[in-house]
Amino acid sequence: MIEDVKQVLAMHRLMVQSRVLDEACCEESAHWFPSQGEEAVPVGTFYGLRPDDVCAPAYRGAPIVYLMRGMTLEQVWAGALGKRTSFGRGRHFSFTAPIELRVFPYIAGDLGPIISQATGAAFAQRYRKSDAVTAVSFGDGTSNRGDFHEAVNLGAAWRLPIVYVIQNNHWAISMPIEKATAAKRLADRAAGYGIPGVAVDGNDVLAVHTAVQEAVRRARAGHGPTLIEAETFRMRGHIAADTASYRAPEEVEEWRGRDPIQRLEARLADAGVLSAEDAQAVWAEAAQEVGEAKAAAQRHPDILPTDLGLDEMFATPLREA
Amino acid sequence: MPGKRMTFVEALVEGIREEMRRDPNVFVLGQDIGPFGGSLRSTLGLWEEFGPARIFDTPISESAAAGVCLGAALEGLRPILDISFGEFLASAMPQLVLHAPVVHWLTLGKARVPLTIRTKVGEGPYGGHPQCFEAWFTHVPGLKVVMPSTPADAKGLMKAAIRDDDPVLFFEHMYLYHGVRDVVPDGEHLVPIGRAEVKRPGKDVTVAATAWMVHRALQAAHQFAAEGIEVEVLDLRTLAPLDTATLLASVRKTGRLVVAHEAWKIGGLGAEVAATVAEQAFGSLRAPIVRVGAPHTPVPAHPTIRRAFLPDAQGIADAVHAVMKYAA
Repeated sequence: MIEDVKQVLAMHRLMVQSRVLDEACCEESAHWFPSQGEEAVPVGTFYGLRPDDVCAPAYRGAPIVYLMRGMTLEQVWAGALGKRTSFGRGRHFSFTAPIELRVFPYIAGDLGPIISQATGAAFAQRYRKSDAVTAVSFGDGTSNRGDFHEAVNLGAAWRLPIVYVIQNNHWAISMPIEKATAAKRLADRAAGYGIPGVAVDGNDVLAVHTAVQEAVRRARAGHGPTLIEAETFRMRGHIAADTASYRAPEEVEEWRGRDPIQRLEARLADAGVLSAEDAQAVWAEAAQEVGEAKAAAQRHPDILPTDLGLDEMFATPLREA
Repeated sequence: MPGKRMTFVEALVEGIREEMRRDPNVFVLGQDIGPFGGSLRSTLGLWEEFGPARIFDTPISESAAAGVCLGAALEGLRPILDISFGEFLASAMPQLVLHAPVVHWLTLGKARVPLTIRTKVGEGPYGGHPQCFEAWFTHVPGLKVVMPSTPADAKGLMKAAIRDDDPVLFFEHMYLYHGVRDVVPDGEHLVPIGRAEVKRPGKDVTVAATAWMVHRALQAAHQFAAEGIEVEVLDLRTLAPLDTATLLASVRKTGRLVVAHEAWKIGGLGAEVAATVAEQAFGSLRAPIVRVGAPHTPVPAHPTIRRAFLPDAQGIADAVHAVMKYAA
């Protein structure tokens, strides 16, 4: 059943755009974090949130969320290409976005702290008596960190307006989730915090979106957090240069048959809302947009040695004696 | 100067209270800071005045508490995070050193982190949680680190820290908490972050010290006055960024430097102070620089070995004697 055609087509377009952009970025940078095959989770999670809601997407696949929040493809490319016009001007990798878009930046390279920072955004929303909410996503690997436990426990104890989404792609670099925990389902951990835990098919964008929207309604109504586990699969290595030789090719091939974009296109074709030609047009348009944006960003100025920002450490300067 | 006498901790709480009255975005979050009144009475009276809308008792989750404060700061609030004891900072290190200090620089100034983190260190009435790890944090770009020694500075620096738009780590010495009572000026009293202060002028030797060691240095200086040796006692107050101008001016005048802190000597702040002076005022030195700090063992529990461990006025006096052996 496709209830809101316009909305589903929009999510399809975003997933295609994410795939095309990700493939192009992987070609550009050996250190890019590929998100191919996981698009349904960021798109389904962060689609349809209000401008005053706070988004804290997992780093893998985050650029599509930045685009959803109003960043342009050219700006994303400026980051990927390390241009002077990038947000952060070369001070960080590109998976950060302007804070004014209500997207929490990835500040450092360690995983987990953003879960409690997002919980802090929800705390601020409560403090200000706003009905805005926060959504944060992170990987299955990150869910084994103490940060996850402390943050979800606190968010639950204080019934904060936040949705915690585990983007379970089965692999934390070379560590499979089966060896990282004895838990059968990561969503089951919610019971330990006294909040609802929901496991969804993370390669079904409508299932993800429906579950997250229900959790958002609960949060907005003051009923506290929900923990959602969206099960998907990391189709490539941890970074573009990682050949993932540590895992069986059969596992990857099995998941290739569950590709979230192909599945959505088949469903939309069955429902008669997106023909094969229509779908082709979406892919072609995305390829053109991504290519044009890259070409435009390549003309942007390069980072300068003076961009180190020696005098820009503090917001409140020290008074001279 | 008109003022009223109060203890170090009373001055701290008064500073927080005034800033909370002034700005509704200021709140306090931490363990046992509500009806309990804070460990060692660090928040006494705040719960009664501001209640659960502004004072937030947390579970034992230092890392999440720090992350929540950082997130709230990114959303424009001005959190005061109360980490009961400095030893527990270790549990929140990612937030405190990898995340909070980086944001302003990383975002080209678009995001700010007006976060005050207060914590207790050093020898104290119960002797618990005494370890002094402040030097760790002076190594981190983007953090401001303060450590006052008097009630007036405690209040003035606390108010400055809360109004500051950067993360400020505020070390409160437990021996001083209830052990020092002094005059705190009336009215709007702010002490600028980044400024050391000469607590006692002298011409023969500079003793640069922090927190409790400032008092022990003053005690030693008093004894030396009888011997005709004029010791200048410099309270560093802000540990990062260091007030090198005041430090260098003092050493250029006296030509001799002793650095004293309760933390371990090896890798301590004294090493940075000594290196700064050696680099920038070598020509003014008339004697080698001597550091006074704790020996390289964990802080022991029993009072007998605790006394053997802690740097004291005698240790500072020995260091002053050592540098005074070098004639002008």
